[in-house]
Amino acid sequence: MKKIEEFIEKVKSLNKKVVFPEGEDERILMASSEILREKIASPILLGKKDKILNIGEKIGIDNIGDMEIIDPENSEYLGEFIEKYCEKRKNVNKNVAEKLVKKPLIFGGLMVDTGKCDVMVGGAINTTANVIQAAALTVGFSEGIKTPSSFFIMVLPNGKIYFFADCAVNICPDENQLAEIGITTGMNYKKLMNENPKIAFLSFSTKGSASHPMVEKVQKAVKIAKEKYKEFDIDGEFQVDSAINEEVARRKVKEYSSVAGKANVLIFPDLNAGNIGYKITQYLANAEAYGPILQGFAKPVSDLSRGAKVRDIVITTVITCLMT
Amino acid sequence: MNDLEILERVKKVVSEVLGVDKDKITPEDRFVEDLGAESVQGLELIAAFEEEFGIEMDEEKALEVKTVGKAVEFIKEYLAKK
Repeated sequence: MKKIEEFIEKVKSLNKKVVFPEGEDERILMASSEILREKIASPILLGKKDKILNIGEKIGIDNIGDMEIIDPENSEYLGEFIEKYCEKRKNVNKNVAEKLVKKPLIFGGLMVDTGKCDVMVGGAINTTANVIQAAALTVGFSEGIKTPSSFFIMVLPNGKIYFFADCAVNICPDENQLAEIGITTGMNYKKLMNENPKIAFLSFSTKGSASHPMVEKVQKAVKIAKEKYKEFDIDGEFQVDSAINEEVARRKVKEYSSVAGKANVLIFPDLNAGNIGYKITQYLANAEAYGPILQGFAKPVSDLSRGAKVRDIVITTVITCLMT
Repeated sequence: MNDLEILERVKKVVSEVLGVDKDKITPEDRFVEDLGAESVQGLELIAAFEEEFGIEMDEEKALEVKTVGKAVEFIKEYLAKK
């Protein structure tokens, strides 16, 4: 069975609730319809009820009547959420908080934060920056994490799976941010794959074979990550061949390493490398690429590409639900 | 409303949301680098400007505004359309 089909089967038993802040978007409605029909999760749509029902009817969504629709501007939760927001963010007054809470992305984030649903999937219309800000202001970051980032699940034709990060959010992370990206991706690898991650921090140098400030940044990130999170196998800096190929690792890595040659989580030094890395794997090696999936928040919030197709929305929802 | 009045009200909002001294804010100040805004506070600043001036701004474009002076210009365009 393909990994993504395994994920879909697994998520069905979890009975998660997912809020879509862009409930008036046709693709979101089609994806929600499939998510409900396939019993992947229970969708909650944010937006104007009449408008959503009309669009649903126009595009032939037969189960639209079974979906929960909430209009943030007239919701019974509005008062509670304004209070909650003011409690969290003491720098804004009640009027400003009301304005913010009526915005679907913030409203959806507060639904997740207050446990009224499990995850939020947004970004079909809104930008990534907007989704990240809304998530940070509502659910906040995981303990010890200050850097929102993203990962891709790369499934190779031979069935091997790697997690790549960060290929979409942080342009030039410093050593602390890079360490956080490594740890967060490792945590999500463990949650989704049910096995321990082997996290490799990548560079053009293997264990000091080259010396350059760009290499030093990666070496520092490895040190920080190892100190912060002792439970995981973390190592670097590695060239990508030393990280994933045991024969090369035996030749190039002289000291003992539990990661060299066996890595399943690849952490790229910056967005140039990360973005090129995932696309080259996708196109030249015919790998399937699932993502980018946002990470680093206290509860799962995911971003969609604005060009996302219905299938992309369904898969992102499946993965996001599995991150709870 | 003239530019100076808009600037004064922008400074008031920035001072409230970011907790900085109103008198120390200049039009050249960048929200994140100079005024210490967290990078996630853009949405809060937008909502506070909307509330102060009674306008609705395009969030995507508004998030690209990085300085106090540019915010004044940006808001002025919306006030002209009111």
